[in-house]
Amino acid sequence: MIKSTFIKEIRQLTRDGRVATAFVIVVGLLAMAIWISGKRYHAINQEYREAKSTERAIWDNQGDKNPHSAAHYGTYAFKPKYPLSLLDQGVDKYAGTSIFLEAHKRNEAQFSMATDQTGLARFGDLTPDFILLFIIPLLIVLLGYNSFTKEHEMGTMALLKSQGTSVVKLILGKWLAIMSPIFLITTILFLIAGVVLSNLDDFGVFSWESLGVLFLVFICYYVVFTNLVLIISSRVKKSGIALVFSLSIWIIACLLVPKISSNIADTKHPYPTRQEFAANVLKDKLEGLDGHDPWSKQAKQLEKEVLAEYGVDSLHLLPFNFDAYRMQKGEEHESEVYLKHYRFLKKQFAEQSEVYQGLAAFSPFLPTRFLSMAIARTDYATHWNFADAAEDYRVKTQAFLNNNFAENSSYGEWSYRASADTWKKLPPFEYAPPKLGEILSTNGSNLLILSTWLIVSFGFLFITIKKI
Amino acid sequence: MYKYNFIYELKTLLRSGWIQFLSVLLLVLFGFASFNGSQKVEKRELDIASIKKQVNESDQKMLAQLDSIERGLNVNASRWTIPSGPTAVGNYHPRIAAMPPSAMAFIATGQSDLFTHYVKPTMAGDDFALNFTEISSPVQQLFGSFDLSFVIIYLLPLIIIAFSYNILSSERETGSLKLLASQPISIHIWVLQKIGIRFLWIATLTVILLLGTLLIFGGPIDSGTMFSFIGLTIAYILFWFALAFVVNLQASNSAKNAITILGLWLVFVLLAPSIINQLGSTIYPMPSRTLMINKMRTVKAEVTEKQDEILDNFLRDHPEYAINDPNQSRRFYHRYMASQDVVKKELEPIVNEFENQLDKQQTWVGKLKWISPAIVMQQALNEVSGSSTKDYENYRGQVIGFAETWRQHLIPFLYNNQSFTSSDYEDLPSFTFKPLTPKTSGISALAILAISVVIGTLGIAFSPRVKSSKTLLF
Repeated sequence: MIKSTFIKEIRQLTRDGRVATAFVIVVGLLAMAIWISGKRYHAINQEYREAKSTERAIWDNQGDKNPHSAAHYGTYAFKPKYPLSLLDQGVDKYAGTSIFLEAHKRNEAQFSMATDQTGLARFGDLTPDFILLFIIPLLIVLLGYNSFTKEHEMGTMALLKSQGTSVVKLILGKWLAIMSPIFLITTILFLIAGVVLSNLDDFGVFSWESLGVLFLVFICYYVVFTNLVLIISSRVKKSGIALVFSLSIWIIACLLVPKISSNIADTKHPYPTRQEFAANVLKDKLEGLDGHDPWSKQAKQLEKEVLAEYGVDSLHLLPFNFDAYRMQKGEEHESEVYLKHYRFLKKQFAEQSEVYQGLAAFSPFLPTRFLSMAIARTDYATHWNFADAAEDYRVKTQAFLNNNFAENSSYGEWSYRASADTWKKLPPFEYAPPKLGEILSTNGSNLLILSTWLIVSFGFLFITIKKI
Repeated sequence: MYKYNFIYELKTLLRSGWIQFLSVLLLVLFGFASFNGSQKVEKRELDIASIKKQVNESDQKMLAQLDSIERGLNVNASRWTIPSGPTAVGNYHPRIAAMPPSAMAFIATGQSDLFTHYVKPTMAGDDFALNFTEISSPVQQLFGSFDLSFVIIYLLPLIIIAFSYNILSSERETGSLKLLASQPISIHIWVLQKIGIRFLWIATLTVILLLGTLLIFGGPIDSGTMFSFIGLTIAYILFWFALAFVVNLQASNSAKNAITILGLWLVFVLLAPSIINQLGSTIYPMPSRTLMINKMRTVKAEVTEKQDEILDNFLRDHPEYAINDPNQSRRFYHRYMASQDVVKKELEPIVNEFENQLDKQQTWVGKLKWISPAIVMQQALNEVSGSSTKDYENYRGQVIGFAETWRQHLIPFLYNNQSFTSSDYEDLPSFTFKPLTPKTSGISALAILAISVVIGTLGIAFSPRVKSSKTLLF
């Protein structure tokens, strides 16, 4: 009975002109989206490689220079684009791509794509994630809204009942009929993406496991939608009403709840403005050691401690350049200040995330969105991870430069120049995004929410609609 | 007959609870969205007020320090922050260049969540590195904001669709169409009448709600802008009713009607904007920011090497500085400011390239926006609330202009080696933002109205009338 229901449903769907048209349109859009994203991915990665090597050359060829001048001159960390961004662009458009690494200051990532686009970009981009997250659920609504209502309307429900089939088998047949075309599209899309991505030069970053998990997440999302649509269709008498209800679910899940939750999250746990943030950092910085200011209270204190530690009575007698030593201590204090303030930002975001997760009870879209971005390494957490890695590198660079200054010159020797080959000794900035296992464990709650949606919707489908 | 129809229709709508339900829904949506928008505006105003207060306090401190210096007292501060030095004033006591929200800012968040609303350009900072973006969670920017513009552009059409997708088909499905067909009335006029009632209801309700929200949340509003905004919204509503009218006349069943109109919604609201945007950025691609950084770094490195030579050239171009200061003492900032000038000139074409491309994309959107009224609406609402790309470009331009004024005001002090005194405080330049005046929405409203009327007329012309009204009935 499952099989015959399935065959009958599929036949009906293929004969419906609208379904076929919708199907063709979705496939066309997907092809276009992949092509566009692929082109963009190539272009950005090429720029990334070029920028990275040029920047390194600029750093290496500074010539004879005081190490602290080099520290102020600074260098850049560029964010690479990850292969799976081909499928989900995530927040990449809104997060900056380059971080300036200089002395005394932790900078934000600069130049997000969104700021270089017209307001139209805020409608969303034609990317695979847009189609996967918004359009395919809509296709599910279209495929399934009248699964049961049409039986009522055509009077075939009575015939079906007279067959003595169990409702479960009937539901399973219909369920399979909706899911199989969706499954087919998604599988083909992911296979194409996998083949395209595994043929890239920087294949190292891409993994089939990530792609596989991403695939499973989307399939779960679609199963939840299919269940919801079937539940509605079985409970409502008219196709028109079933459609309006299913669509309302789509609107609430995909459009309303994300926006409402973003508003609530922002109001309840706001970020400081850029200027406020800078002012707070400055305030804390002033309370500690300023590497450039030998006259401050903290500098005098440090002087006393160091002199006592080395048992000498003049800074000139120290085995290193105290100016550079103080600079390094100042740097350490400043990096702690930044750590504290960035921790605050992260705390705000962690609390915002809780708001999103709380509201995910109204929208299977939210956990899917977050999981898919995370697996594609295009989520906010990956951005933080990159920014932290860059900061770590900045702190190490400063230590490298200050140590060079301290060891190779004496107190007060600001005219010291490090030789031209010094800069090459600084190891380059390398960044690897978190591994899949790590991502899944930090996204445990999203996985849990999505699984809950899956189980509860199945439960509802099979338990409560027995009385069709 | 028309009168009976009208009363009958109104009664069914009232009795089925549709009107009540939709009215409450609209009220809730409009209220919530305006409240959200106004919260953002409020935060923006508070931020600006608090920074103004801070700067005032720091100014008082600066004046006190200047006063002490002028009276020959010792000032307890780091040497380079003492405000008798013009560079200390220029770098540590910058003015605020703020962009206060417009009176109707609560309507559309637009680009306002991407950009900051006040910056403090310093003398030594270079204008290209001025960061105009705001720290905020990119997740929020990705999801967007639940504001009035979202309710009007995305949700209002959906409500209209839910209200009118089955005007004709439900009559047929319940069998009442046959009764109606026996009446001396044209089917077209009858559908038009039914849709007209719905349009009137939603339009009136929207106008009342909009006026209400403007009254509660808006600032002092210029009546011209307000009327064009309301006119535009009505035109947009009419557009969706015109589509619903046409689809209804195609005589299909309710569910199929709903799918067709929804497909149109998808095309106009979701697909057309993203495709036009994609095409725009493909035809006028943005140069690479990362490569711009490379270029900037190279220019700066070259300039740093030639600092002394650049200072010489600068002083040759500005003989007045050589005359005014007999000592000719030249230190770090003299060299630095002179080379900043060179850096700026060298980088200007690179930075302008970004703005040019953005302008071209904007023009492209301006031309193609007529493909979808949703785009027209979005652009107009952003303009009305002062949160469009153009507004932020305007602000950026004004700030960079002001940064130059600030620098030029203090540079003579620097090169003349002249101290900054408390009497110079009054003359410090200050920044006032001059907003753009939105002007296109009136025309847009008329254009959408015209489009809607054309759609409606075409709908009647191409409806299955030719095949006699039988097709409509069965």
